Amino acid sequence: MSDPADTQLVPPSSVVLVSGGSRGLGLAIVTDLLDAGVRVAAFARTVTPELTKLAAERPDRVHVGSVDVTDLRAAQGFVREVEQRLGPIDGLVNNAAIGQDSLHVHTATDDIARIIETNLTAPLQLTRLVVRRMLGKGLRGRIVNITSICAQRGFPGLVAYSATKGGMDAATRSLARELGGRMLVNAVAPGFFASEMSAVLGPTQLDQIVRRTPTGHLTEPVEVVPVVRMLLREHTNINGQVIVVDGAASI
Amino acid sequence: MHSLGCRLRRMNELSRAQIRDLMAQVLKNQDKELPADDAAQLREIGFRSLDFSELALRVEDETGEELNFDAPGLRRIATVGDVLDFLVELQHQ
Repeated sequence: MSDPADTQLVPPSSVVLVSGGSRGLGLAIVTDLLDAGVRVAAFARTVTPELTKLAAERPDRVHVGSVDVTDLRAAQGFVREVEQRLGPIDGLVNNAAIGQDSLHVHTATDDIARIIETNLTAPLQLTRLVVRRMLGKGLRGRIVNITSICAQRGFPGLVAYSATKGGMDAATRSLARELGGRMLVNAVAPGFFASEMSAVLGPTQLDQIVRRTPTGHLTEPVEVVPVVRMLLREHTNINGQVIVVDGAASI
Repeated sequence: MHSLGCRLRRMNELSRAQIRDLMAQVLKNQDKELPADDAAQLREIGFRSLDFSELALRVEDETGEELNFDAPGLRRIATVGDVLDFLVELQHQ
């Protein structure tokens, strides 16, 4: 079915759901969106004190919950709570993911399945759930998938992880087409952070990446956050893109 | 790690000496020699990370048990003794 282009604009998101919002980049995104005046719902397996504090400070604009992204039923329940407390969701940031730090041949098959379930299946399910809610209400909205530079460049020890991130990059493009301009769907692909999951690369490899990076430093969450906010809030015609934030390390 | 020495080995577990033999084979296939000294540096004898993978897979073949492990543990391995300790220990997990 080929429809004529939908020329109505997609407004800035006003209620944004962030998965994996309790620490690291996810927490930085939540904080930044709140500062921008957005209502934010965030869930994570474990709600950290930092996230609890944000929720306590702005109870009218924040809703947090302990949800494992792979638990679709719990995610559905959370989305209903959010709609009641903050209003209909019109923005989604798929940020929750688990890392990997093992060579493919020495990664247990269960671990491969778990990485794919958490980093690929779960965000696809959550996206389906949220898009169904938005479409059903006639809402226009925005989706930002947090992927990774290793979807585009190879790194040892991250084979399954890279596959899931590449999968989300690909889904981003097809979803942008499928949603026919009713929603703007993009991905943000950070380079390696000095902290968190980059423990997988070890100091030698990280030093090597820094040396190859024209801006001379590893990416920080604070450098990624404005790009996510722009994709959720600004009036642009960016759709179906993967925006790399890595200081040109991969160029 | 040394406290494991007195533990009874499981039936399908390789001893440190058996793993050493397998390590020598991996090196021999590349016309390299395994020194008798456990303190020998892997960098100097040319035993690289994929050689470690090959050795771990050979141990798996012998024991029939999968040996899975994370990469950070590997980065601490620098000597022949480290390799043997790591694989002996891994069989207990």
